[in-house]
Amino acid sequence: MSALRVPGLPRTVLRLHRPALIVWGAFVAALIGWLVWLNTVTSSAGERERAYCDHHETCNILDQLNYGQRTVWVATLVCYSSLAVAAWAGASLIGRELESGTAQLAWTQGVSPARWLAAKLAVPALLTTLGCTALVLAYRRAWSAHPGLRDGDWTSVTTFVARGPATVAYALCALALGALTALLLRRTLPALGVSLAATWALHFALERFREHLWPSVTRVTATEDVWPRHVWQLESGTIEHGHRVAHAGGSPCEGNPAQVKQCADKLDITGYYQVYHPRSHYWPLHLVESGIVLAVAALATVLAFRLLPRRTRAARKESLA
Amino acid sequence: MTDTTGFALEAAAVGKRFGRRRGSGGWALRDCGFRLPAGRVCAVVGPNGAGKSTLLALAAGLLVPTEGRVTVLGTDPASARARVGFVAQDKPLYPHLTVAETLRMGADLNPRRWDAPTAERIVADGDLGPKTRIRALSGGQRTRVALALALAKRPELLLLDEPMADLDPLARHELMGVLMAQAAQYGTTIVMSSHVVAELEGSCDHLLLIGGGRVRLAGEIDELLEAHVRVSGLAQTSLAPHTVVESRTTGRQLSALIRPAGPLPEGLRTSAPSLEELVLSYLRNPQAPGTTPAEAASESEKATL
Repeated sequence: MSALRVPGLPRTVLRLHRPALIVWGAFVAALIGWLVWLNTVTSSAGERERAYCDHHETCNILDQLNYGQRTVWVATLVCYSSLAVAAWAGASLIGRELESGTAQLAWTQGVSPARWLAAKLAVPALLTTLGCTALVLAYRRAWSAHPGLRDGDWTSVTTFVARGPATVAYALCALALGALTALLLRRTLPALGVSLAATWALHFALERFREHLWPSVTRVTATEDVWPRHVWQLESGTIEHGHRVAHAGGSPCEGNPAQVKQCADKLDITGYYQVYHPRSHYWPLHLVESGIVLAVAALATVLAFRLLPRRTRAARKESLA
Repeated sequence: MTDTTGFALEAAAVGKRFGRRRGSGGWALRDCGFRLPAGRVCAVVGPNGAGKSTLLALAAGLLVPTEGRVTVLGTDPASARARVGFVAQDKPLYPHLTVAETLRMGADLNPRRWDAPTAERIVADGDLGPKTRIRALSGGQRTRVALALALAKRPELLLLDEPMADLDPLARHELMGVLMAQAAQYGTTIVMSSHVVAELEGSCDHLLLIGGGRVRLAGEIDELLEAHVRVSGLAQTSLAPHTVVESRTTGRQLSALIRPAGPLPEGLRTSAPSLEELVLSYLRNPQAPGTTPAEAASESEKATL
């Protein structure tokens, strides 16, 4: 550390949170290591199986399933790594300092509370960004390495986040939310719980509304058609009397083409429609979501800095009567 | 070392209320006013819960006064941060750091001011290994590390909240010596609170007596002692017009501590009170009139001339 000549305050933050830094580094390294293992050892077994299956009536798909499933696990860990950041930021980074009074130790050294909070946020933000970026790059590489063995498409909840900067945005937001809740509550355990809950709620809310973050595509066809490949299917149905009628459980008319035609005429079905996000919508959707999360992070950071003077500040500018 | 006003610490009508409850409850400090000239060693005494810690935290810029204004080294407490040392009552330190890492933290957080040899000497005098973790230290050893942190930043004003409470007599004597040497060498103003008056007698030259959230007595200890007389005589002796701090009648005998307003009546035996007697008399009699903040301020001004 000394070789890098880090200035005093960031160096102190690093020294204080060295255990967390080690755990975070180990987590990132372990996940990348696991991805490398999956894409060298497990994937080759899966590809061998797939090649066998292409030429045989019956075959074993256990290795393919294993590869797909484990890749999804990695995506889940990458996507929700922000929850760990939230818990740490709320409890260890700020909450414990306020509870035990060590924050006051720092504030009575030559460091103002605002600089203290800035360093407490900036150093972890930098290291979180580095770690998450490494995870995202590794995951993207792994995800596109063996498309035939994949379990789930780009639309799956965790893969959607793990393939892009939203992972970094969620982690930074968790950091800011953790700091804000810790400054609000000033207790380690409540801050841990609330920070975790707030970050989870943000994930949950955006997962629910993700499909609305970018305008979807509607395709109208005269006859019922299969879905385009690799799209995020949102809704499909028939057009009856000029109105859309959604059919969640499949078409109302079944059978051979003549039967379908007869049924459609009877129901006055004039066409079929499909609402979906094509694969090209991944980046617009992803970037809008990242932007929302970063906006929440910025808001939480501003609130934290505005709350800080109420925790400690001297000499309110008041005139004395 | 002294600033333009010559006062290290000034409080003007300072009040601090905890919680939002209205009414009498919640005030830790009320209408508190005093001036402490630079270069003094000031004892802040008072019973438990009198507001001593609140006053020191206000001076350290860790609390905002609800009303009034605190001035530290001629400026507001936040701006004076780098020039003020503070050791809180519970001596907060990072438990997972070693002694050496704690001192390195002090050096990092106080660039340009840090006096590493002083810090190392204070720690070494307590036989603390630099590799020992803070959580493995006893209460007294932690106090030593906290004092090393506060002293090595070469503060102009050093605020110590019950600094000697968990030190053994030997360490107490030695660290008091270190503090006094610092005060003498660099002209550091030291403000230390305690509820053990004996601990402060002989090393402090200024007194701030706080009771019930108010300043009861403030001034140079010598002047305060001179201004008070312990008298004894016959019970029917009238003590008017002198200010009676405490009086006790046993049988036909009267003994009292008074602040004389003029020549004393004939037939009274007088003696000089000790600091402890003076403090205890005021603490036992909360209704006894103290010196008003204005008087204290004028006394302080006289003292600086």
